[in-house]
Amino acid sequence: MTTVKAIAVIVIGLAGGLAVGTGFVAFLAVLGVIPRLTQLTKTMKWIYAYEWSAVFGAVTGGWMSLRSSALDISKYWLIPLGLFSGVFIGMLAAALTEVLNVWPILAKRIGMVDKIILLMMALVFGKVFGSLFYWMYFAEVMSL
Amino acid sequence: MRQMEKAVFVKLRHRVQVKPDDVILVGDVAQIIASDKQMLQQLKRIPLYRIQRSDKNIVIVDVMKVVDAIVRFDPSLEIQTIGSAQTIVEVVYPKRTISFAYFLAVWLLLFIGSAIAIINFHEDVSMQETHQHLYTIITGKKADKPLLFQIPYSIGLGLGMIIFFNHVFRKRINEEPSPLEVEMFNYQQSLDQYVILHENKESMKQIDDR
Repeated sequence: MTTVKAIAVIVIGLAGGLAVGTGFVAFLAVLGVIPRLTQLTKTMKWIYAYEWSAVFGAVTGGWMSLRSSALDISKYWLIPLGLFSGVFIGMLAAALTEVLNVWPILAKRIGMVDKIILLMMALVFGKVFGSLFYWMYFAEVMSL
Repeated sequence: MRQMEKAVFVKLRHRVQVKPDDVILVGDVAQIIASDKQMLQQLKRIPLYRIQRSDKNIVIVDVMKVVDAIVRFDPSLEIQTIGSAQTIVEVVYPKRTISFAYFLAVWLLLFIGSAIAIINFHEDVSMQETHQHLYTIITGKKADKPLLFQIPYSIGLGLGMIIFFNHVFRKRINEEPSPLEVEMFNYQQSLDQYVILHENKESMKQIDDR
């Protein structure tokens, strides 16, 4: 009986992981962040390596967060990690406005095609400010 | 040989800007090639249409209209049309200057909106817990506010958006447009397609039931 149970658990776990993993990849594919990065850095030939990096990243992150393992290394590793994860989320956010076709319509409607960069900066600064505000003040108030 | 001399090649431009009350000439909307240089100059000066106030800001000139004007000028010409069948004529009215206050309002709207949106996102995905957890994974210690991670994260957030829209890597090796430029182009293309069909009285024939 325990073997059956174990197999059932394995199958369910595998199926769940499969669904989440395909969803993650589909999400990345729709937003087109990886193609954008390869286009910027002119490294089209390494696109498969990038795919694997996303896969390994997802697996490592999943494993470490689920196992609650600790690396016990210097806390200053958090600085580059924070920066990289921020850039990643920032790119996702930018790609999302892209997919939703926000910019062309906004710029046309209000007749400010020439000022679109300045408007984009409003979004960028808004994101940075909102994020800092959240971590330094908002989250603290919420936890009280 | 005689045939060649009479041939006129006409290619309409895609988009032309004119002032209100201008008269559109054939030479404004079309590129023309003809072997007779003098006749070419005359052809270019044929008036096609006078812009009226009721036209608002878009007028579509159909290639048939251009052909018609040229045939009227000289019925013996043999006209060959190349390329698109319509020109979008954009009437540019004196630009009403956007007040700075208006711009500032939009800027603040976007700024505050995106700030709130990111706060909502963090709250929605329990980002604080994730970061606390990550702090523990890396250092083995607990922290209520892992700001060491979160401040670089916040800066990276802005950086990522800028990178995506390609404003850091200004020096482009080839002339690839940024996603924003492609997006603007696609949108303009769709708009053009729409006005070509909907502003052009020749493109649709409806039953006149009056």
